[in-house]
Amino acid sequence: MKFEPVTCKDVIIHICENLNEDIDSDRCRAIKHHIENCEKCREYGYSIECIIDWYREYDPDFTDTQHDALLKKLGLE
Amino acid sequence: MSEENLIARAKTGDKEALRELVKKYEKTLYSFAFKICRNRDKAENIMQETFLSMLKSLKGFDGNSKLSTWLYRISVNHCLMEARKQKKGIFVEPGDDDELFSDKYAADWSNIPHKSVENQELKDILDRSIAKLAPEYRIVFTLRDVQQLSTEETAGITGLSVPAVKSRLHRARAFLRNEISKEFQK
Ligand SMILES: [Zn+2]
Repeated sequence: MKFEPVTCKDVIIHICENLNEDIDSDRCRAIKHHIENCEKCREYGYSIECIIDWYREYDPDFTDTQHDALLKKLGLE
Repeated sequence: MSEENLIARAKTGDKEALRELVKKYEKTLYSFAFKICRNRDKAENIMQETFLSMLKSLKGFDGNSKLSTWLYRISVNHCLMEARKQKKGIFVEPGDDDELFSDKYAADWSNIPHKSVENQELKDILDRSIAKLAPEYRIVFTLRDVQQLSTEETAGITGLSVPAVKSRLHRARAFLRNEISKEFQK
């Protein structure tokens, strides 16, 4: 089996599509090997993790007042 | 009581059951709407409209998908309607991959001090950056990465194929990274 050399762009797309997914193929092993040796790709992965964490943590409070207003709007109070 | 039972009772108009369902999903749907529209009042309105739609159409809910999937689908429609009210041309579709992954946006992330989202400056950056992203991409990023739904579930909610979800996701992430990098470089 032959495949094209792995580029940073391939790695980035791959990390993005398969974060949290179990991966085990020749292609994936080549990608893991690339990441281990590529500062740029590791930094990309780190930056995306930061961004996802920030957007997850940035969550508005949901108050009792909002809950009551909702039930009233729905005629369920 | 199982959700199935609750739904069956809610379909008959049982207020107690309806209240239970509302209580179960209100926070999630409010948070989701906020993460799409980045405005508390609009998010509250979208959440209310989503539950009004639920009351109207619950009888037609066939149980082929999870209730949460069905509610997300309704909420996505309300979010898109809200986005369409905004001026045309304010949203950006991520460019092609070569542009998205260009080195010119590579801020040195290893030197970015650990920031907490309690920091108002960071909150503003996050709001400004995602506000530029076309809603169709924002929705995929939020469902998949922020709400942590599976790719398949995200596809079911948005009506996209699994490969289309993956493609929008990596482009949305790259777009956000570039926008946030530009802000950090200021
Ligand atoms: Zn690389």
